[in-house]
Amino acid sequence: MNFLLAVFSQTWRSIAETWRTQLLSLITITLSVLIFTFFYLVYSNALQVGNRLDNDLRLIVYLDEQPDANLQQEYQHKIEKFDQVERIEFVGKLEAYDRFKGQLDDSQDVLKDIPKDFLPPSIEIYPRRNLESLSRIKGFSEYLETMPGVLKVQYGREWVERFYSFIQLLRVVVFLSGSLLILTTTFMIGHSIRLTVFSRKKELELLRLVGASNSYIRVPFFLEGALLGALGSTAGIAALYLLFRWIKTNFAGQAAQGMFSFSFFSTSSVCMIIVLSILLCAGGSFVSIRKILSV
Amino acid sequence: MSGEEKKLTMIDLARVSKTFPPDVHALADVSLRIRRGEMIFLTGQSGAGKTTLLRMLCGIDCPDKGYIEIAGYDLSRISGGEMQKLRRRIGVAYQDFKLLPDKTVAQNIAYSMEVSYRSRPFIRSQTEKLLTELHLLDKQDALAGKLSRGEQQRVSIARAVANEPELILADEPTGNLDTETALLVTQLFRSYNEQGTTLLIATHDQAIYDFPGSKVIKIENGRLAIQKPPTLVKKAEGKE
Ligand SMILES: Nc1ncnc2c1ncn2[C@@H]1O[C@H](COP(=O)(O)OP(=O)(O)O)[C@@H](O)[C@H]1O
Ligand SMILES: [Mg+2]
Repeated sequence: MNFLLAVFSQTWRSIAETWRTQLLSLITITLSVLIFTFFYLVYSNALQVGNRLDNDLRLIVYLDEQPDANLQQEYQHKIEKFDQVERIEFVGKLEAYDRFKGQLDDSQDVLKDIPKDFLPPSIEIYPRRNLESLSRIKGFSEYLETMPGVLKVQYGREWVERFYSFIQLLRVVVFLSGSLLILTTTFMIGHSIRLTVFSRKKELELLRLVGASNSYIRVPFFLEGALLGALGSTAGIAALYLLFRWIKTNFAGQAAQGMFSFSFFSTSSVCMIIVLSILLCAGGSFVSIRKILSV
Repeated sequence: MSGEEKKLTMIDLARVSKTFPPDVHALADVSLRIRRGEMIFLTGQSGAGKTTLLRMLCGIDCPDKGYIEIAGYDLSRISGGEMQKLRRRIGVAYQDFKLLPDKTVAQNIAYSMEVSYRSRPFIRSQTEKLLTELHLLDKQDALAGKLSRGEQQRVSIARAVANEPELILADEPTGNLDTETALLVTQLFRSYNEQGTTLLIATHDQAIYDFPGSKVIKIENGRLAIQKPPTLVKKAEGKE
């Protein structure tokens, strides 16, 4: 109990004395967190969009004749020769008609005089949803067109492909900014501890002389590091949230709103990011304090 | 040395030597034993080696040769953690005070108690009590750097004794004090000694040890010269 009190007051005193020199570290950490979380937010929203693209990911192969069981087997065989797929569905003429009717809702009576087999049969192919398969989707559709009896192949356009290479790029950017975050944070923590040690040199020498234990000397630096991490990440996320609100209010009315909503991190992700930053900073300060003070 | 005697011994030096470059024999072959509860004055001219001896007793310096034991700990083999604990049991008033000039008097004194995790009320009452005894209570919140040498000296003494150590080492504790103030310090030391604290006080100020029954060791050019009375401080017989 007394140990904690002593260490806390020691920490408090040190912060009161050196907070000016720590500001630069705090700003750097805040910026790194902001940059990383920005890209991470874009990335996770892009993934969300990807999950909603289900229908666009499907390749629809229109056939001129309704295939019998044998032919279906043959088609399946040929498709799987090109690539593993998640699922293949054969849609007959009548089934297509029913679906179409269902989509029409209130205005179903326009179909009254039309024969029930006016729609062509088709094969719906759901490719595997990994980046590799998705980036080959164009080649896949070209291959399908060469199969006998195929009228036309339809799929979610080229932008699906582009979208997935964009996600792949984002992944790299998130990884890089994450590494940048770790590097700058540990560097700045080491830097600020060096400054504190320098400005409290005489005091630390005195503490040794009067027999301060290693933890009495070390823990305040550790706490300072953790506090820097907590403040830096909170400020970074707060800044990101303001940016997010600003973008939403200024650009939301246009373009994409109907199609996908841009959403912020969940509370648990926010806590996760803060906790990780605290651990990162506290760990960084633990390592540097051992190196600098050799206690 | 028997186990019983070992328990009674606070400081044990055996043939301790220290040479500074190029060729200053600050201490040569010093052996002595100080029992718990004693108050010993270490005298000798300036440059005799008093400070060197005290610095080795509190572990700032190591001897070139010889063996030092404090409260049963062999200083050449003591672990880092044990040394820290031992230092918390020893109060040292350094010749150069080692105060932090931009901290207040009270903060400076508190350091020796904070590292032992003393409670706030204890620290406050102890600080006030000592400052009252040393006639410095009005300076409690003054910055240590702004005080006169004599005032700083008393603050460093207050810090040395505040944690109620078992052993007090004081290096020229009255060097900057007038006779009257020096008397305050001697009284303070005596009151600690009466409670059982061991004290080793290096001084060349005859006035503070010139009283009947005082125990004095004199060093000359790094060697033990005179002990008074000779029976009280035993000379150790080499390394045991
Ligand atoms: N760090 C040092 N480097 C070189 N010589 C030193 C050092 N410390 C002390 N000395 C020398 O050792 C001798 C004893 O010094 P000291 O122990 O300070 O004497 P006292 O405290 O009795 O006045 C002196 O001659 C002094 O010059
Ligand atoms: Mg001296």
